Amino acid sequence: MSSSNNSQSRKAAGKDRFEGAVQAAEIVREYGPFEGVERIHGVTHDGHQVWAATGGQLVAFDPASGEATRRIDVACDAGTAFDGTCFYQIVEARIDKIDATTGKVLASIPAPGNGSDSGLTWAEGSLWVGEYRDRKIHQIDPATGAIRRTIESNRFVTGVTWVDGELWHGTWESDQSDIRRIDPANGDVIARLEMPNGVGVSGLESDGAGLFYAGDGRASKVRAVRRPKAATA
Amino acid sequence: MDSLIAASARALAAGDALGALKRVALRDDPPALALRGIAMAQLGEHPRARELLRHAARGFGAHEELARARCIVAEAEVALAMRDLGGSPRALIAAAVTLEARDDLANALQARLIAARRLLLLGRLDEAAAALSLLDGHSLPPSLAAVAELASAELALRSLRTGTARAALTRAHDAALRARVPALLAEVAEARAALERPAARRIAADGEQALRLDEVEALLASDALVVDACRRGVGGGDTWRSLARRPVLFSLARALAAAWPGDVDRDALIADAFRTRDPDETHRARLRVEIGRLRALVKPMARIEATPQGFILTPHDARPIVVLAPPIDGDQASLVALLSDGAAWSTSALALALGASQRTVQRALVELEAQRRVRAIGQTRARRWLAPPLAGFTTILLLPAALPIE
Repeated sequence: MSSSNNSQSRKAAGKDRFEGAVQAAEIVREYGPFEGVERIHGVTHDGHQVWAATGGQLVAFDPASGEATRRIDVACDAGTAFDGTCFYQIVEARIDKIDATTGKVLASIPAPGNGSDSGLTWAEGSLWVGEYRDRKIHQIDPATGAIRRTIESNRFVTGVTWVDGELWHGTWESDQSDIRRIDPANGDVIARLEMPNGVGVSGLESDGAGLFYAGDGRASKVRAVRRPKAATA
Repeated sequence: MDSLIAASARALAAGDALGALKRVALRDDPPALALRGIAMAQLGEHPRARELLRHAARGFGAHEELARARCIVAEAEVALAMRDLGGSPRALIAAAVTLEARDDLANALQARLIAARRLLLLGRLDEAAAALSLLDGHSLPPSLAAVAELASAELALRSLRTGTARAALTRAHDAALRARVPALLAEVAEARAALERPAARRIAADGEQALRLDEVEALLASDALVVDACRRGVGGGDTWRSLARRPVLFSLARALAAAWPGDVDRDALIADAFRTRDPDETHRARLRVEIGRLRALVKPMARIEATPQGFILTPHDARPIVVLAPPIDGDQASLVALLSDGAAWSTSALALALGASQRTVQRALVELEAQRRVRAIGQTRARRWLAPPLAGFTTILLLPAALPIE
């Protein structure tokens, strides 16, 4: 009963809360397809290279040349993140901490969505995890997996990323995807970059500057999308 | 998609259905239900698979049309494997249209192929041919191409075009090799082997001889006058007279052909056609009438003349006369031979064609069904009998290429 009330009040408020400023995503460049890669589940950036989680391998490529540069054989089913030295990788119902040089799994914590998890990013001492069909983003303790707080979205959450104090996440429902900036305090949508029809976003990472890298889950591709400069609230 | 779904799909793609199932066994969200359904189907648990796929299709939201359509296609494939042909194909066709509109061409073609195979299994050969021709000109993924060629081969065999069937099977073999599905390769090999087996016997004055399907085709295409005890009819060159619904005329024709170039005694003809050993004048009168009817029917191919003892069949243009019989004798063999036209027969039509009682035919059908040499569709009075597919392709599950879970 109370949940249906909630969703109704959310629907009524939906227009302002979840619309934001809409513009078409400006796709700057497409990378891939990559050899031996069928699907991309997550994307991260280590300051030089872009990494894509492809199921059984983390694949790195050079954003300037587009060439694949490194591969690490680890299970990687969804979002991936980099904290400066290690990767965090969603695998089944857990998050593995992986040594970036050796590829060894150092530790594992339970994933907050218990396997329904999709996007992942590292920021300010926390991991931020998207829970796909439940349309949530959890902020968790990277050491224990304890949930610190939960933000609600109104769309299926795929990739999650932080850049310059802005929280962005990718959405993907059926044929429609966008990249949206939300208010981390209450989940209100501030801006939306709509992807072309049929182009899915399955992983999202910023390069810390003017670009997002977005994985396409159905294809073996990563797209660079320009981050709008005027997207401030 | 989320991580457990991705992990499960990865396991499924690697052929690990149990591993796929393990990862989503406790989840009831639509993508998990769809994956569970597909894994169950691959494990041969068809009824449960269907239930899960139905449940998944219902669970997807209004904006998840694509995922829903893929579930419907998967469910139809499972229904086909279960030989459950009772439902309406409307949902499947609607799903095909949705998939086409959303540019998922591979799955749309698969939906069309399932619809064609369903018609083939129902014995609606013309409609099946029309549905299959819709797939022409599309480049199908190898596994679908293999199944489509198997279906074309089946259609060609049903109308005894063995050359066409052989060519389709060669293409099916190539496609199955490319698809790297061992079960598909095995089914193509099985279908090709069926072409090499004896399909009928040629009975002529000079003795008996087993014929393969292509030899049967060659015989029917030759100028010989063939009394065909498999399909119950008389043919020569381009002419074909079906006697499936006229058992008395057929047994007269067969008796006359078997005796060629000699004649057949009246009493023997009466005993054979009317099943009596006690002929009287009324039988002789009836024989004259029936011979008259047969004479009119075979007129383009042969003459029937009275002799002092009985009647003699004389073909035009000195062509030979051959009796074509099922590869083995007996009611069951005759039934299987009749059903090999691929059409759906009622028990009463079969009884009529064989000149046997419905009870006899029913008994033979039940035994054949237990041996899986015939199959039934429909219930009670609407029940129809069909030969099993020549190629067993319909047991193979080729679930939608992209899993319905994105």
